[in-house]
Amino acid sequence: MNVVPPALSRLIADLNRLPGIGMKTATRLALHILRRPASEAQSLARDLGELHRSIRLCSGCFAFAETDPCGICKDSERDGGLVCVVEESADLMAIEKTGAFKGKYHILHGVLSPMDGIGPEEIKADALLERIRNQQVREVLIATSSTVPGEATAAYLIKRLQEEAAVKVTRLACGIPMGMDIKYADELTLSRAIESRKDTCS
Amino acid sequence: MSLQQGLAIVLQVKDHGDSDKIVTLYTLEYGKIVLIAKGAKRSKKRFVNKLELFSLLAIHFAPSRHSSLMRLDQADLLNPFPRLRENYERYIAASLLCELVLHWTREHDCDEELFRLLVWALEGLALAGGAVNRTIIFFHVKMLDILGYRPDLTGCLDCGVLGAPGVVYRFSTMRNGLVCSRCESQATGNTSQPLSIQTIQLLRRAQDMEQGKLERLHFSPAATREAVALLKRYDNHLLQREVQSWSFLG
Repeated sequence: MNVVPPALSRLIADLNRLPGIGMKTATRLALHILRRPASEAQSLARDLGELHRSIRLCSGCFAFAETDPCGICKDSERDGGLVCVVEESADLMAIEKTGAFKGKYHILHGVLSPMDGIGPEEIKADALLERIRNQQVREVLIATSSTVPGEATAAYLIKRLQEEAAVKVTRLACGIPMGMDIKYADELTLSRAIESRKDTCS
Repeated sequence: MSLQQGLAIVLQVKDHGDSDKIVTLYTLEYGKIVLIAKGAKRSKKRFVNKLELFSLLAIHFAPSRHSSLMRLDQADLLNPFPRLRENYERYIAASLLCELVLHWTREHDCDEELFRLLVWALEGLALAGGAVNRTIIFFHVKMLDILGYRPDLTGCLDCGVLGAPGVVYRFSTMRNGLVCSRCESQATGNTSQPLSIQTIQLLRRAQDMEQGKLERLHFSPAATREAVALLKRYDNHLLQREVQSWSFLG
């Protein structure tokens, strides 16, 4: 006999499909939603239903946005000559939080991963090249992660940009995090930090 | 439970929840193993930079009390092979080698020779002048040999002859060897590309050659194409699945 009501069972199964949500967590979340007032569940359902209707990809930078072009691409105060290439929307949000970058973005929506069948055609690499050729871009900052796929993607993009576009290409610096004691840094990070050392007199 | 230790190459890394990673390793002592690295995504010291594809690690791990997954306790980075991430072609090649080991081996099936071959091939790919396709072909041929799937390239499986004038040779994945155009019956429907005598001889030399003498093998572009097509088809047939990295090889 199934002791879980079908509606609750369906919700658990739906939540279970989300990344990082196992059966136990899905059950806990579903029961939490059930215990809260009905208005909260309706608001959640409304927001979920609205998601695909109101959000689209910006045709300029491929960020998720309610308008096309997105707020960042539309902003005339931002430097359109400087484009920062990131893997995911979450990376854009992390860089925006710093307030240190005043240029525009290009979101790849992935990294090169041959084992997962993800090659140059699956990420927005051609669109980046086309954008660089058609717009007045003077510098491209590659801000992919310093993981193996992130670095390989950066190497691929740098090569293509150097061969196919007359543009300055820079890579996000890699080194010791702020507040970290040098003796606790791993060898790879420390050697990268030494390689990317900066002239303090300039 | 007591900690076990060993040398390992990282074959695959997957995120698991908000903070953990599931890592598949090929180890010298235990063959292919799958481990959970608790807190690895947020780790600032213990796992940072270590659980990266292709890395050679010294690991400490323990069976978990609560699940079938073993728990990775510590990893020391011995060689991250940094050049493999700095060049797209080498990255694809290294991904292919790891994917082959991932699919061709079973968990806990230990093979010291295969581990050493993988480390040797990754080291070769990381070298500035290392020939990528030659290393891949050689690795694949040797891996099949180690795992007991050595293709028979000595001659036609039916008449035993190799190199008869005007005869075309094809590789039969069903029979694991060569079949010549004289013996091939129309009914078998072997539609594979013909293999040139040069390619067959190069592959045979690779089967019997020591790793250190790899430089003596010279694959022409045509022989490389034929050998890669043959190995790819052999993988698809025996694994009954596609090895994804093959499609990105230039």
